[in-house]
Amino acid sequence: MRYDSITEAIGNTPLVRIDPAVHGLRNIDLYAKLEMLNPFGSVKDRPAWHMARPHLEGADGEGTVVELSSGNTAKALALLAGMHGLKFKSVTNRMRVPEIKELLLLLGAEIEELPGRSECLDPTDTDDPLTHFHQALSDPDSTYLHTDQYFNPRNTEAHAAGTGPEIVKDLDGRVPDWFIACVGTAGSSTGVARVLREHDPAVRVLGLVAHKSDFIPGIRTIDEVHQVGLFDPGTYDTIESVTSGEAIDGMVTLIRRCGLLSGPTGGAAYQGAVRHLRDADAELDGTGERRTAVFIVCDRAESYLSYVRRRRPELLGQAKRGHTAASLTDAEAQAEARVITVADARRWTAEGDPRPLVVDLRSPHAYGALHIEGSVNIVDEVFDELVRGGLPFSKRTPVLLACPVGEKSLRYAALLTRRGHPDVRSLAGGIVAWRDAGAPLVRE
Amino acid sequence: MDVPLYLRPRVEPPLASLLRAQTFLHSLVDALGSPLNVLIPEVVAENAARFRAVQRRHHLAGRVYYAHKANRSSSLVRRLAAEDVAAVGIDVASLEELRHALGCGFTGDRIMATGPKDAEFLWLAARVGATVNLDSPGELEQLAGLVRGHGLARVDVLVRLSGFESAAVQGGTGTRLLARRSRFGTPVREAEALLSALERHRDVVELTGVAYHLDTTGVEEKARALEQCVLFMDECRARGLAPRALDIGGGFGVGYLADAEEWERWTTALSEAVLGVRPPLTWRGHGYGLRNEGGTVRGNAALYPAHRPTAGPGYLDELLSMPAPVLGRPSATLLLEHLHDLYIEPGRSLVDQCGLSLARVLDVRPAGEEPDRYLVRLGMNAGDMSLEEHGVLMDPVLLPRGGPADGEEEPVGVFLAGNLCLEADLITRRLVHLPRLPRAGDLLAFTNTAGYAMDFHAHRAQRQPLARTVAVEPEGDSWRWCLDEDYWPLTSPGGTTA
Repeated sequence: MRYDSITEAIGNTPLVRIDPAVHGLRNIDLYAKLEMLNPFGSVKDRPAWHMARPHLEGADGEGTVVELSSGNTAKALALLAGMHGLKFKSVTNRMRVPEIKELLLLLGAEIEELPGRSECLDPTDTDDPLTHFHQALSDPDSTYLHTDQYFNPRNTEAHAAGTGPEIVKDLDGRVPDWFIACVGTAGSSTGVARVLREHDPAVRVLGLVAHKSDFIPGIRTIDEVHQVGLFDPGTYDTIESVTSGEAIDGMVTLIRRCGLLSGPTGGAAYQGAVRHLRDADAELDGTGERRTAVFIVCDRAESYLSYVRRRRPELLGQAKRGHTAASLTDAEAQAEARVITVADARRWTAEGDPRPLVVDLRSPHAYGALHIEGSVNIVDEVFDELVRGGLPFSKRTPVLLACPVGEKSLRYAALLTRRGHPDVRSLAGGIVAWRDAGAPLVRE
Repeated sequence: MDVPLYLRPRVEPPLASLLRAQTFLHSLVDALGSPLNVLIPEVVAENAARFRAVQRRHHLAGRVYYAHKANRSSSLVRRLAAEDVAAVGIDVASLEELRHALGCGFTGDRIMATGPKDAEFLWLAARVGATVNLDSPGELEQLAGLVRGHGLARVDVLVRLSGFESAAVQGGTGTRLLARRSRFGTPVREAEALLSALERHRDVVELTGVAYHLDTTGVEEKARALEQCVLFMDECRARGLAPRALDIGGGFGVGYLADAEEWERWTTALSEAVLGVRPPLTWRGHGYGLRNEGGTVRGNAALYPAHRPTAGPGYLDELLSMPAPVLGRPSATLLLEHLHDLYIEPGRSLVDQCGLSLARVLDVRPAGEEPDRYLVRLGMNAGDMSLEEHGVLMDPVLLPRGGPADGEEEPVGVFLAGNLCLEADLITRRLVHLPRLPRAGDLLAFTNTAGYAMDFHAHRAQRQPLARTVAVEPEGDSWRWCLDEDYWPLTSPGGTTA
């Protein structure tokens, strides 16, 4: 394979059969359309390129491509805009997945996040921020190129011309009995469904939406799909909802058992598909007939680690290393730590022989604003790493630990004492007590 | 009728047991008329304690300031005045609120004057030693002039900042978080002039803190504003000023509804009704701001998020736990490490579960051609109980007069109309589902109206009676009550037992 441009690598993604031992369906062959293998990493590469291409080819390096996207469309458009010397701006109600936000920044995108809802309602303000956004775009002086993925028919066309025909070709000219897709912009489900129905009207299309109170990246809830211009309920024979829990279950199955590095949206499609097909599969028992179903794996896992960490931390569990301050109980910390009052600490730091090393565990910014003269700043996160390995001080150096209220320092004092340091003390009441006692704090 | 689209209120004790005291509530309305507001002052003190507990859990010193504008009642203010002096203060936004707070037992050092201020308000605030939350450099000049001109003592001031959006770009995070524009506060980018003015007037004002108030449910925006304020306070310190408190305002929210599913079902049904795939849910097909453009729903539903998983103290906890966007430490850690105190000004959420508004059913009749819809006219109007005005959708609780009659326990959809001779005077613009059809003489209780809804918009138009307000407290199996203006937080209050 030799290409002149990365855009030529968009499309022609593999269709991979899922091992029946994994999904448990006896009479239905289930295939995954691996859109995650597009060059920018997702199914959105197709519509992004198809929508942006006319703008980009005539743009001669002027202007900004803008889209309402918090994820994969933004990613593809940012790369495409960059290749053509244009800027890209993403406007979104919330970047809810931090890795994607950082990735977009790396790609050079500019991100505008829309404000949250009003707490004290102003009933005269019924226009959403998007309305203002559209007003700005239609300004005659605007140099924005808006790809408008939720309303642009070229979004659907990209799939009608590419994704749909590829599925039919890879099934040797046959149409699957079921096509399953998560509904975001409705572009892939609508485009693919159109092509499949043209070949065989008997195909059944299952649209998956997110459970209303839940969040799955790239999928809309049943209310949100009504705000999508490309969404037509007539496209789907069935619309069902999936939860983030199911999405992660499906994702883990695809990753650990099928070797498919899918993200949660692909996981939702897989889990929703198997759940939906189970009854149909049972009805086929004994008939000797075989059926086929295809679902879309829309992107990859790597960008969703924090999404998983938040919902299923045990999947990313790390073995504990050594004793940490957190592993001490409150009673142990109380019993084993030496504490020192502000008055005694003032004497000790002024007259001690040797004088203690004062360690301030707060953030560098707070330390910079005000601190005990002569203290060193080791922020607690770093200190935690340091003491995992052992003692970071000589046993001959007495140490005074200080944190805001004397809570964290107490734990570290107990831990270091347990490690054999003979004279570590925690400042009782912390820097707050020091300040309240009128002891000097300096700003250097 | 398909499944009744209930939006049943979240009701916790003691409000729940008050609602069960139906004979008591009927006798109150018989004596004092409809509409009638009922408050439970004890609850406001419990709510303040819950907020303080969150602050304590994060080791933060500071105060809970009750935003007086949420309710004009005396009993609530007097009950809070009896709380720990160091823990509870009051935020007043007008001269009359300030006078009221003083008359209810708050001393000047527990009062914060906020909002738009005229000279009389500023003078009295300065005179009694209240903290003035400055809205602009102009207000600072005016205050300084008053203090000098009248030989008053040095006044503690907070400066209220706004416009954190532009400052966020300088923060270097690479994203621009748009914010709702506010007409209050001084934009951060103009703070230099404010700082110079504070230095110039150091002889008459002392900067004790920095404030912001954002009208948003978005916790990220608030975390960003909080961090910008901490950075600003650092700059103040570098210039020799010594602000110590950060006032993060309120807006922590209230969860009005008991059941998430009812809320989800109703809001989905609203979208479907706007699209025309189901019959309207509202009077004349009102869409609450949503509209149908070629089969796609556009616009923004002007609705308060009435069911929310976290509200009030839980929301404060979430905000304090959220990492600051630039410095990365949780907001509470940021405040604590910089040795700052935390002030909060909850209005609505401090009076959560504190009161209800009662209205007598005057008339019930079929609503036009639709056979199973009724129009219920109440002895109150939209100004007396303005939940709808604030986009809060919540069913009233039906309190029948006498026991329920047999065989009438059939859910029914009703429109609730007010007592004004105006087509627009509807208590709700949506079809309200009740477990059975009310009858003339029954009461409807609108719960949780103490925050901004109870008499917030009440007026004397058409000479309809204004609601009276009573304060109640449980006493054994019964309730003791007195007029709101007669309530004092004493161990043996006066008043009448039911």
